[in-house]
Amino acid sequence: MRRFSVLPVLALSVFVVPGQALAQSAGRLLASNCFQCHGTNGSGGFEELAGEPEQEIYDEMKEMQGNPAAAEHEKEIMVVHANGYTDAELRLIAKFFASK
Amino acid sequence: MDRRSFIHLLAAGTAGTQLPALAEAALAFKAVIVGGGMAGATAAKYLRKWGGAGVNVTLIDAHVNYRSCIMSNKVITGHRSLDSLTYTYKTLRDRYGVRFVKATVTGINAANRRIVCSNGTSYAYDRLILAPGIDFDFAGIPGMDAAAQAAIPHAWKAGPQTLQLRDQLAAMVNGANFILTIPKSPYRCPPGPYERACVIADWMRLNKPASRLIVLDTNTPKVAGDPYSAIQAEPINFTNAFKNIHHNVEYHSDAVLNGVDAAAKTIDTSLGILSYGVLNLIPPQMAGKIVMNSGLGLANVAGRWAGVNLLSYESTAVPRIHVIGDSHGSTQPKAGHIGNQEAKICADAIIRLQKGLQPYGAPKTNSACYTPITASTATWLTAVFAYDPATSAMAVVGGKASEPVEGPTRKIYEQMNVWFRTLMTDTFA
Repeated sequence: MRRFSVLPVLALSVFVVPGQALAQSAGRLLASNCFQCHGTNGSGGFEELAGEPEQEIYDEMKEMQGNPAAAEHEKEIMVVHANGYTDAELRLIAKFFASK
Repeated sequence: MDRRSFIHLLAAGTAGTQLPALAEAALAFKAVIVGGGMAGATAAKYLRKWGGAGVNVTLIDAHVNYRSCIMSNKVITGHRSLDSLTYTYKTLRDRYGVRFVKATVTGINAANRRIVCSNGTSYAYDRLILAPGIDFDFAGIPGMDAAAQAAIPHAWKAGPQTLQLRDQLAAMVNGANFILTIPKSPYRCPPGPYERACVIADWMRLNKPASRLIVLDTNTPKVAGDPYSAIQAEPINFTNAFKNIHHNVEYHSDAVLNGVDAAAKTIDTSLGILSYGVLNLIPPQMAGKIVMNSGLGLANVAGRWAGVNLLSYESTAVPRIHVIGDSHGSTQPKAGHIGNQEAKICADAIIRLQKGLQPYGAPKTNSACYTPITASTATWLTAVFAYDPATSAMAVVGGKASEPVEGPTRKIYEQMNVWFRTLMTDTFA
C-alpha cells in the first residue's frame, strides 16, 4: 500500500462529511413531513414509501404536480402536498425514502 | 482495526454511511422537554432517533398518559371511548431511551439552565423544549368563576371534561338548547369547534330531535353580509354543513359574550339572553403556564404566545429555550399534526446547533386534518407551509389551505382513521 493513501482520504473526509451529513439531514427533515401519513421513515400508513425506487416516487409526485385534474380521487390531498415542494426538494425526499 | 480496514471505513464514510454515524455517536448533551403532547412526544422521539444515544432526553409531564384531543369530539357523541384515545410514554422509553418524569414544572432557571418542578426536584439542560400546549383565559367572561368553570366544561383538552360534556349532552332535555361558543383566533385546532358542532348536531338529530344547536362564533366575518365568512377553517366544508346538512344548527358570527349565569343556565350575548340545556363554552386561549409565568419574557407575541426563530423554534427572548406546538406564536395553526412537524424541525435544528452547525434554512411543515361531519362522513383540510427568508415567517404554499371539492364522504371518513392511526404512531411509537 502506498503511504499517501491515508492522509488525502482523511483530509477529504474532514472536508466532505459535514456537507454530506447536512444534505442527508435536509432530505430526512423534508421527508419527515410525510411521516404523519406515511409512517416513520415511510413505513406504511396510506402508502408505504420506504424502499420504493427513487425515480418512481419522484415521477409520481411530478405527475400529481403537473396534472391535478387527472389525479385519482384518493390522491387529491396528495396533489396539494406534491405542489408544496420544489423539484430539488422532491428529489431529496425520493432519495431518502428509496434509501430506507 | 488494521490500516486497510481503517481506510475502508474512511472510504465508506465518505460514501455517506459510516462517518456521519460516528459523528453523531460523539454528540452528547442534555435535552429536557416539558409537555408530552403531540409536539413534545415527537421531539423526544426524534431527538433520540436522529441524535443517537448520546442525547440524554428527559420528558416531563404532569400526567402519565396522553389523551388525544384529535377524535375526542367523537367521545362526546359516544362513538369512541376515551381509553381508545389514550397513549402512554412506554414506547418512547423502551424503544428510544427517553426518560419520562411525572411532575409539574414550576419555573425555569435560565442562568443555570435548570428546570424546576413542584416537588422540588430540578433538571439540568443544554437545550430546553417547552411544549405545554394551551391554557385558558376566562378573565373576559363575567360569571365564569371557579364554580361555573366546574359546571360548564370546555372539553378543549381531552380528559374528564370530555366525559362530563358527553354526560351532560346525554342527560339534556329534548327541546333544550345546546350552545357552543367559539373564541377569537388563534385558538387550538381551528376547525375543531365547527367539527364539534357538526358531530353533536348529527347526534342530536337522532337523539334530541326537538333541540337546537346554537353556535356563537365570536370571530368576525371577513366578508360583510356573509356570516359564514367568519368560519376559521374549512369555510367551504362547514358552510355547506351548516346550511345544507345539519338543519338543527343555528350559526351566528360576530357574537359577543357578556356573561354567564351558571345557576340560571343562561348566557347573556349580543343576540340577547339565551337559555341553555348544555353550554359548551370554549374559552379564549394563551400559551401554557410555564411559557406565560416563567418571568423570562417568553410570551412576547401579543403577550399570549412565544415568539420563536422558525428555523429552530428557539425563543426570540431566551437562548437555548425552544417552544414548539400550540404555545408558540406564528402563522401556523395550533394543531397536533403540524405540532408533530414543528417538533421534528426543532429536533433536527438542536442536533445541528449542538454540533456547531446552522439549522436547515428552508424547512417545510404541513397541516393536514381530517374532520368528521357526520357519524359516517368526513372532509379534510390541508396546507404546506414554507419558510420565507424575506419575512422569517412560515407561509402557505399557494396562498391558502385546500379542502376537497366534493364535500363530506364515507371514503374520506375511512381515510381519517388511517391518518389518525399513522399520526399517533409517528408521535408515540
